[in-house]
Amino acid sequence: MITYSSTAIAVRADMVEAHNVAWGRVSRPGTWFDGATRVAIAAETRHASSCALCRGRKEALSPYAVAGQHDGLGNLPERVIEQIHRIVSDPGRLTRTWFDGIIASGTSDAEYVEVVGVVATIVSIDTFCRAIGMPLHPLPQPIAGEPHRRRPRTAHQRGEAWVPMIHPKDLEGVLDTEEERVLAKYWGGVLANIRRALSLVPEEAYAWFQLVETQYLLGKWMRDFANEYRAITHAQIELIAGRVSVLNQCFY
Amino acid sequence: MLRESSKATGEKYDLTVLTGTPGDGNIPYGALLVAFAEAVLGTDDERLLALQSEIRAKMGDAALVDAAAIVATFNAIDRIADSTGIPIEDSKAEMTADFRAALCINAFAEKRGEIADPRDRGPRG
Repeated sequence: MITYSSTAIAVRADMVEAHNVAWGRVSRPGTWFDGATRVAIAAETRHASSCALCRGRKEALSPYAVAGQHDGLGNLPERVIEQIHRIVSDPGRLTRTWFDGIIASGTSDAEYVEVVGVVATIVSIDTFCRAIGMPLHPLPQPIAGEPHRRRPRTAHQRGEAWVPMIHPKDLEGVLDTEEERVLAKYWGGVLANIRRALSLVPEEAYAWFQLVETQYLLGKWMRDFANEYRAITHAQIELIAGRVSVLNQCFY
Repeated sequence: MLRESSKATGEKYDLTVLTGTPGDGNIPYGALLVAFAEAVLGTDDERLLALQSEIRAKMGDAALVDAAAIVATFNAIDRIADSTGIPIEDSKAEMTADFRAALCINAFAEKRGEIADPRDRGPRG
């Protein structure tokens, strides 16, 4: 269980709860991976910062000019370690060709998206811990069980992104299944691409944005500039967000 | 969003602070918060500790927690955007074309071999 009681700084109760929910999700079977694999992805996410190959690539003019083997923990296939380490260490220089290579090496597009979801969760909560000056939380113990391996049939490759995504137009009209009706509640209407980025694995998308809304703002608060909902203002929030994205060389 | 906030409130923010121009961007404690974000993503632990103390003293603990949460969110959300290859939406591209060009942010996409403005792609098949 995640706790912030060891720090003198009072962390909002809703944030503590959101972090516990996210930690629990990492430990449980997901859509394509069991709990042990998800925790292994989490551990590899943390381990990436100590990888000599990643450091060399980060310093190189082109990361693709530096060959070698990652300093992995040995619990995941090399193709998954490559995905995790590159997303952690040098996300601003990922390319479509690199993504295609990961898929060609045997990772399915849905597995790829689930890995992204776990990596993002760990990066986010670990970054929060560093930012308030407390040690990282111990990773959770995996919970036994099988992933359900259901791919939403409404997710398509429309040439919008590297990964197939659910589009609001996919969820119009008469829907055939309860799953589609649930998806329509979440993705019906016009939505930003970032909200749809993980939609090939809907549970990752739901969970990620529960965390985002707690750490950042509810969607309905984002453009409510007449009111402030946090201890820092909208302008201060967006200043920090913008500076972080520039430092990460994130165009989106 | 910072630009939308500026338009909504009538405040004139200096967006060049996003790309490293020194200053506060005309936002209260802007320089402190930018330095904090840089320190969290950096490796200088002593500097981070000093900035955490400064935020607590000047803005309060709750502000430190919320500032930390924003760094935490965007440090991860950037990775989702970059690793899934999502483009900027057409409407957003149109709204932000001038300041993206002025701040040279398009270079981030072009360096990846991507087209910065999706409106330049032409019709999709």
